[in-house]
Amino acid sequence: MKTYVARRLLALLPVILVVATVAFVLIHLAPGDPASIIAGPDASPDDVVRIQRQLGLDAPFHVQLFRWYGRLARGDLGQSIFLRRPVLEAIVDRAEPTILLTLYAMLIAVAIGVPAGVLAARHHNATTDQALMAGALIGISIPNFLLGLLMILLFSVQLGWFPVAGYAPLEYGWFGTLRSLTLPAFALGVVQSALIARIARSAMLDVLREQFIMAGRARGLSESAVVYKHALKNAMIPTITVIGISFAILISGSVVVEQVFNIPGLGRLIISAVLRRDYPVIQGVVLCIAGLYMLVNLAVDLSYVVFDPRVRYQ
Amino acid sequence: MSVLALPRPAEPVRRRALWLSRLVRRRATVVGLVLLAVTTLVGVLAPVIAGDPLRMEVSARLTAPGAAHWFGTDDVGRDVWSRVVYGARLSLLVGAAVVLLAFAVGLVCGLAAGYWRRLDNPVMRVMDGLMAFPAIILAIALMASLGPSVANVIVAIGIVYAPRVARIVRGSVLVIRETMYVEAARALGVSDVVIVARHVLPNCLSPVIVQASFVFAAAVLTEAALSFLGVGVPPYVPSWGNILAEGRLYLQQAPWLVLYPGAAIMLTIFGLNLLGDGLRDLLDPRLRGLVRERA
Repeated sequence: MKTYVARRLLALLPVILVVATVAFVLIHLAPGDPASIIAGPDASPDDVVRIQRQLGLDAPFHVQLFRWYGRLARGDLGQSIFLRRPVLEAIVDRAEPTILLTLYAMLIAVAIGVPAGVLAARHHNATTDQALMAGALIGISIPNFLLGLLMILLFSVQLGWFPVAGYAPLEYGWFGTLRSLTLPAFALGVVQSALIARIARSAMLDVLREQFIMAGRARGLSESAVVYKHALKNAMIPTITVIGISFAILISGSVVVEQVFNIPGLGRLIISAVLRRDYPVIQGVVLCIAGLYMLVNLAVDLSYVVFDPRVRYQ
Repeated sequence: MSVLALPRPAEPVRRRALWLSRLVRRRATVVGLVLLAVTTLVGVLAPVIAGDPLRMEVSARLTAPGAAHWFGTDDVGRDVWSRVVYGARLSLLVGAAVVLLAFAVGLVCGLAAGYWRRLDNPVMRVMDGLMAFPAIILAIALMASLGPSVANVIVAIGIVYAPRVARIVRGSVLVIRETMYVEAARALGVSDVVIVARHVLPNCLSPVIVQASFVFAAAVLTEAALSFLGVGVPPYVPSWGNILAEGRLYLQQAPWLVLYPGAAIMLTIFGLNLLGDGLRDLLDPRLRGLVRERA
């Protein structure tokens, strides 16, 4: 197991290299000279040259690329043009709300999605199943930012239960944080729970047709023992895969939802960077989110061992 | 899957009729088709049924829905009904163009990587690199370097979804290239390009056609999200995402700025999802209920 984890981490290296290259090329795709765009229309040629030198844009493309690799290897994401501080520092500062929001949303998505899927599978084709699946289909048709706006309209404007927007950092107490993140987390999580419910249902239906389920029933096990002990554990494998995919959707969703609720996280950071053409920040945030996504995928692969003893890693 | 999709030139008319009747057998699919037909009709008829979406009537700013303005007006007095209707037009344009672009690029890359062994590694590594980014993050980064415009939104979202198409196509091509009929064609001395175009391509289409309505839906959603964030189409262009972005600022005074474009997005995506489920059951019964990735 330990060597397997080490090997998997090693196998991530080429992927990281490709991802780093893509992040670099993306920004350098920009038509025109980034330095003059950053400097603005009224800048003097001297300003443009200064910014070019500051960003290292005066070097040939491949030199810039290798400098970028070299800096990454040292954990240096560069210097923000507008914030006048290291990009990594800005990202670490803004990561708390985004990570908490993503985890909270994940919790909600799993807590709603898995039971709904299992319930639908147990009552296959009955009214419960059809109602739940119709609900899930409507759920996946609502964009998270729209659901967020509608929830503000109902719960904050009409009922006044939650703050309209904003974020209370953890250092001022977890309760405030939880309260400020509840609506955004629901906006994100409910949509995702619909997807998880659909997968959990079809995975359960597949497992319930297996011979060992029939054998369990023949042995006289109670229906709940069959469903919750034997079937559910086996149905978790495809479900976990989806939960892994959900993470990518949730973390990118939080970028959008942060904008709805005015939460100062990575999403606000990257959007303000795009609007100000702060390329180092854009690159840094994009790279960090991709890195996080890769690690979660690895964690998902490793968790199969816990849920399925048939999966063995050498 | 491949056998089902083989062309049977002898009875093309009857085959199409069967295909249609099977598609409309499910009531949900019919609902999806109707919703899409309505959106399309609204989008096509926009100049007839709506006024100028850019005309500002400053004296009537933030007017509630009524006889003069069915869906009310926004913060600079533009008619929300006209903007929602023209927004449908934009969403359809973006959706269709992204599907075309993502499929064109995805098919070429997938066919090349799947059929020619030497191309497999380089092409698919690039695709993997692009897919390592969550969809909307990649789209935001692309928009940052391309700049805001309708064409750039289409290009950015197309680049995001092309690798997903390529991966599916490559998977089918790997199976098809080992089949007897491909081997037979090769033995007859048919050139590789002709084999790919005439024999491999038609047989790897059905799993990707299933994806078309989902890619369409994802494109509409991503455009709305990008525009909502202020990094999509320019602010004056009537887009559902742009209207929602304005609506966010006036939630208390003018909830109609959120409710109407919101309903339009929901109904369109709902229709596309229903149609997608119908197509999937028709073309690829094995995929029922499996994962599909969304933005």
